[in-house]
Amino acid sequence: MKLSLKPQETYRDDYTFSNSDEAILRFPFPFPEDGYMYSVNMEPHVRGGATPVYDKVFDVDEHYIGDMADRAITLDQDPLRCQVLPHMETAEWDTLELLMESLANDYPEHFSLTKNGDKWHWINRPLEIDQTFTFGRKETLPYDPFEYITRQMQGDFSLQDQRDNNLYMDGGMVTSQADWSLNFDVGMSFHEWHGPVPLAHQAGVFDRALQYLLRLQYGKPVRRLNWTMTANPRLDTSPENYPLWGPEKAAITPENVGHRMCLRVELQTLHRLPRSNAILFSIRGYLIRLEELVKVKKWAVRMHRVIRDLHPQIAEYKGLPRYRQYVVDYFAPFDDGRTLNSGIAAEQDSI
Amino acid sequence: MNTSRPLYKPFALDPSGLAHLIVTSLDTPPEGIEDSFDNIEVWTVKHAGPGVPVLAAGGIRPFRSTTEQLAQLGHRLGRMTAGLRFYAIGSEAFIWDAYNIAIAAGMHPSEIFLHRAGPFVRRVYCSHCRTMVEDVPANIVTCPSCEASLFVRDHFSRRLAAFMGVKVDAEVPGEVPAAEVFTS
Repeated sequence: MKLSLKPQETYRDDYTFSNSDEAILRFPFPFPEDGYMYSVNMEPHVRGGATPVYDKVFDVDEHYIGDMADRAITLDQDPLRCQVLPHMETAEWDTLELLMESLANDYPEHFSLTKNGDKWHWINRPLEIDQTFTFGRKETLPYDPFEYITRQMQGDFSLQDQRDNNLYMDGGMVTSQADWSLNFDVGMSFHEWHGPVPLAHQAGVFDRALQYLLRLQYGKPVRRLNWTMTANPRLDTSPENYPLWGPEKAAITPENVGHRMCLRVELQTLHRLPRSNAILFSIRGYLIRLEELVKVKKWAVRMHRVIRDLHPQIAEYKGLPRYRQYVVDYFAPFDDGRTLNSGIAAEQDSI
Repeated sequence: MNTSRPLYKPFALDPSGLAHLIVTSLDTPPEGIEDSFDNIEVWTVKHAGPGVPVLAAGGIRPFRSTTEQLAQLGHRLGRMTAGLRFYAIGSEAFIWDAYNIAIAAGMHPSEIFLHRAGPFVRRVYCSHCRTMVEDVPANIVTCPSCEASLFVRDHFSRRLAAFMGVKVDAEVPGEVPAAEVFTS
């Protein structure tokens, strides 16, 4: 299906962001069952599956132009949202190559890449970019290669160096994060940067996930879904700007929860990079207002059960307690007690 | 268990070392230095009066502040010989500052031993204005620069040798819970 892009939407101030019916139906709903607990829920990132966002290597959707404009605003205010340690330059070029090739291959009407030896020609039509450069020579690009290409792809990214049988977060582009700070976390090992997550350490989730990822192979990316909730469709929910978005959480009421409150889902994919042996971690975020989500019956019913029964420590970590009851009450009328099928599919073709 | 927080063993000299440099933010050498070891150098923090240094004696070299001490550490490690073992003893901020200096000087992590000692105080990084607040005794502290009341998350950065501080009343200004004194 051809991808059509919406004109620029906003993710701050007046929050003009909304999902079309098509975007709602392709939303990666994260709950295959009626309950939720941490697990090593990784699977091969192969095309196709339970949600259409799995169809491409890197999914682009109708919000592309607004996403990239919001990233540019955030970087203008705080350039340290993009940092890469000096020893990761090869991984920067690996990232640029993987993203350019994937986008050009999956969306030829929007992106094209032409190579003549190390002389590359990149066209990004939605952002009106036409760039010739020399692969491996960063002075031929307007930004360092990792920043250059991640300013043109939705979602956050981090670069993991692999050494000493561990992964170290030695770079990233992080402008739409669920309350974590690249400037604080850069250079950390796998267990260090996951330190604040409750429950999962005891369950051995991170030990097993690390062992799994250390064996990640080139050409065989993996994926998982993660989620949280966000007051207003705001991308920049960073610790740095918590004094800006914190009051928006407190302004949620039973009356406005359906419009303002959003389920925020991350499609996380991990890709082994060929030259550097680093891992590119893509955290592709999707937002949906609760009033949009309930247009899919199965999801409305399941949301009620998951949020109602969520472990208190997970709710606390995800910042839900202040408005959790409003969310439960909002979904309760949709839950008629029916038995739902396992899986995340919408199970309806239209809205 | 939160594993961003390092775990520390009690202080003991490493028998495989040929020389030992012990740097502490306290005013006395640690207990547990055994007579059977040679080539032991101890750096402490102590002054004889306002601004007045205490002279080195008996393998113990006092500095007037941890700042003075750490400022000289890189120079000292720059002329180290093979077989040196390095020990840092003090607050988490101090020992990880020392660790980062030792790594920058070319030491291997296996040659470095860290031991937390002294009062339970933390260095806190203000996520909002990036100020470092030193010697914080409890889990809520006011940033001296941007004036945010910061909650100290149980999240530690070895690179910054600091814990993460995030505005505690960002959602409802003034809603600040009672602070809890650190016990670890």
